[in-house]
Amino acid sequence: MSEMYITSVTHVLPMTTIRRQRLLPVPGSITVRVNEKVQAADVIAQAEVNARHYFLDIARGLGVSVSEAPRHIRCQAGERVEAGDVIAGPVGVTRRTVRSPAEGRVAVVQDGKVLLEARGELFQLRAGFPGVVIGTDGSQSVTIEASGALIQGVWGNGVQEFGVMRVVGDGPNDGLQTNQLDVNLRGAVLIAGMCDHSAPLHQATELSVRGVILGSMPSDLIPVTRRLPYPVLLTEGFGQRPMNSVAFGIFTSNVGREVAIDAGGALPQPGQRPEAVIPLPSSRPVSLPDDVVPIKRGVRVRILKPPYLGEVGVIKQVLKNIVSYPSGIRSRSVEVEIEGLGSANVPIENLEILQ
Amino acid sequence: MSTILDAETLLAVDVGTVNTRASLFDVVDGRYRLIATGRAPSTAAAPLYDVSEGVRLAMDQIRTVTGRQLVDESDLLIMPVTSQGSGVDLFVATGSAGPKVRTVLVGLMPGVSTASALRMAESTYLDLVEVVNLLDRRKDEDKISAIVSAQPDLILIVGGTDGGAQTSVMQLVDLVTMATELIPRSQRPRIIFAGNQELAPQLGQRIGEHYDIAVAPNARPRLHHENLTQARLAIGEAIAEVRSKRATGFDELDQWAGGTLGLTADAYGRVFRYLSRIYDPEKGVLGIDVGAAHTMVAASFEGDLRLSVDTELGLGSAVHNILRRSNLERVMRWLPFEISVSRMRDYIFNKAMNPTTVPTTPDDLALEMALTREVIRVALLKARESWPRGKDLASTWVMPPAEPIIGSGGSLSRAPSAGMAALALLDGVQPTGVTTLVLDPHNLSASLGAAAGAVPLLSVHVLESGSYVSLGTVVSPVGQARAGRRVLTLRLEPEDSNEDIAGEIRMGQLVVLPLGQGSYSRLTLRPERGIDVGFGAPGKAGALRVAGGAVGLIIDARGRPLELPDDPAVRLELNDQWLRDIGAKE
Repeated sequence: MSEMYITSVTHVLPMTTIRRQRLLPVPGSITVRVNEKVQAADVIAQAEVNARHYFLDIARGLGVSVSEAPRHIRCQAGERVEAGDVIAGPVGVTRRTVRSPAEGRVAVVQDGKVLLEARGELFQLRAGFPGVVIGTDGSQSVTIEASGALIQGVWGNGVQEFGVMRVVGDGPNDGLQTNQLDVNLRGAVLIAGMCDHSAPLHQATELSVRGVILGSMPSDLIPVTRRLPYPVLLTEGFGQRPMNSVAFGIFTSNVGREVAIDAGGALPQPGQRPEAVIPLPSSRPVSLPDDVVPIKRGVRVRILKPPYLGEVGVIKQVLKNIVSYPSGIRSRSVEVEIEGLGSANVPIENLEILQ
Repeated sequence: MSTILDAETLLAVDVGTVNTRASLFDVVDGRYRLIATGRAPSTAAAPLYDVSEGVRLAMDQIRTVTGRQLVDESDLLIMPVTSQGSGVDLFVATGSAGPKVRTVLVGLMPGVSTASALRMAESTYLDLVEVVNLLDRRKDEDKISAIVSAQPDLILIVGGTDGGAQTSVMQLVDLVTMATELIPRSQRPRIIFAGNQELAPQLGQRIGEHYDIAVAPNARPRLHHENLTQARLAIGEAIAEVRSKRATGFDELDQWAGGTLGLTADAYGRVFRYLSRIYDPEKGVLGIDVGAAHTMVAASFEGDLRLSVDTELGLGSAVHNILRRSNLERVMRWLPFEISVSRMRDYIFNKAMNPTTVPTTPDDLALEMALTREVIRVALLKARESWPRGKDLASTWVMPPAEPIIGSGGSLSRAPSAGMAALALLDGVQPTGVTTLVLDPHNLSASLGAAAGAVPLLSVHVLESGSYVSLGTVVSPVGQARAGRRVLTLRLEPEDSNEDIAGEIRMGQLVVLPLGQGSYSRLTLRPERGIDVGFGAPGKAGALRVAGGAVGLIIDARGRPLELPDDPAVRLELNDQWLRDIGAKE
């Protein structure tokens, strides 16, 4: 029988090689070169997005027939124009013209009509973490590599930021409280076990924090976090779940260092996980983390469902027989040695590899 | 076409969003039978982006169970069957995994061609991100901007009956051409034109050779005639193209399947169209498949299939959409215990992030089954918008009669008891009259639909075999009555014993009478005045032969529509009582 494996792998690694492809939404210009060192906030590519379009009916604008309009057009597709530039004309004694309503590019000239694409908003793609550019397609993507600690989360509010880490509270079970937040934390990235109300998050805004990394928060705070100017990254999920001990250990052992948070998109975007990267120098090459890990003895896992929700353990054995659970559900399972709780059978579907 | 003689062994694979299933069929005593099934996590998404691995793991489970070698040393499918009994004679495959296809619909009239195209879009895996039509009041430049910013994978143009409007349709085509010109060449969408066929020759000149355009037969060739079949095929190709760009392995599957790799939804619908031709013509046939990322509803009335693929609803990654399409209170009303709103919401969002998980505690199971009920209810409401007049939502709020009702999907097929699956279907669908509830525990319907073209007998034989589980016949009286008032009297006369059962059913009761799988009884129903059990009119009595099932004969007199009490304590008690009544709880 083929080896079983779980495709759900969450990387929580104190030292690894992190390689990420950054992608513009549309082709644009790449502003970095291969082998160039970049900082987290560096713009590595940019493009114009959400451009407004103007449809110019030349025949109507000049007061000429549709068949006559094309020969009065004075620009070609692809040509750049400034606001007020003459697009067509002049015609007749009144020297009527059609002028560009905005700065932009002539996109299409067709059947006496001109479609103008005005300059859109400038979208700037940032590196996200300090590293080295190892590849680019020249128009839309840049790949960056770095060494350091990698802690993948399960949810993020979509914001990217970079700052110095500070732990708030006494441990991974501790909640973020307003009375713990003072001016000493200004501009820091806060690490805490959980947060169960919005007040600390708002207070963190006033302190201009650069990010908050939590084990969990209630899902009704999702709308609140989406309005925050800084990233919020969850390592466990929604509800009241302490941060897993492995992730908390990595954060606490790196307090005072800088961390780059990419709080990704909203609910699961395949292949894109929200994550925190702590850049660390490495004296020797470190391998890339495995994306596919076989289910076997000794593999560290996190349990995704009650009654052991959020617990971290190690696979003791892959069970040959199907196991029945109190719900009545029967499933292929493994025996997991859970930290501090002993061993328990868990359906394979309810596990993710914590590597 | 293959026959039972030259294609005895058939392997069907369905690549879903969460699970990949393989089903092996063979001829036993002259009839096709399901021999074994295998299930593995789908690998179309991150990190592998290659469906092959999930397929091979699912096939490997079949090998483990049957000992039959399906692939050779190079991992290639052995076909046909060798003299050593390895391999299969025929391979069919379907798929629903992969990204949604972002689609812009460009149509002429909102109520005519655009309506037809909308129905078509809602019957497959399209994510409709923008609709542009002639009565759209936006300026042309704004329509162009809308098309460009929608970042479509597909632009579907419809409009103009054959021989009808030309100028207006060509204006729309020009609009699409201009918009497409603005999209980077590498990201340009496929365009399907399914409008006035007289315009087809001009399209090449107008749109130009460098655009990927397919001309399909008119979706609305005449004002009162709709023809979506061919356009659906073109859409299917576009979907296949998009998913092949995002995950590998589909091409290999298609090759194994002799170029017939199809969409799960199309194959699923085909089975229900077929069933509606062999079951009671007075009633429709209903199929509900609650997947992780989609929920399919197939209703077919005498061969007229109405297929709905709700790409927003599912019990996996799409589950949080239930909060938008319904609300928490409506989900929580199905629970037999108290839970806080925040815990329920947290459960939903966590489930969306971990779609493959299964409930191991009774409370978790109850949460999942509550979600199943609400997803079915909401998907059905949406699906019924496109059902034929008289059966659609505008004509009647209650479900029109259907026979049978076949449920499938992870939560139903994994339900620990037949009663639990039956209750979820009853609560979600709320059938009326007399019907049969059937469970497709192995999610075979799509595979049977895929095989139907090559081996028509396979579908017939397997549907008649025990691979589908009959949960039981359900009698659901409809009419107004106070709780506790008698709504009908019944007599059940089993064919294999003399132990008749007679009694009366009161409003609000959920009753299960013993009638096991494979047993038949004569059932006489005498409804009270104003109460309809489907014999043609309220109060009309009748008798019929009914089949048993895993649950038994179910009399659901809880009312239609089923209204749960506002008092939480009473509601919790009732939910718990119903679980006991149907045998899902001791």
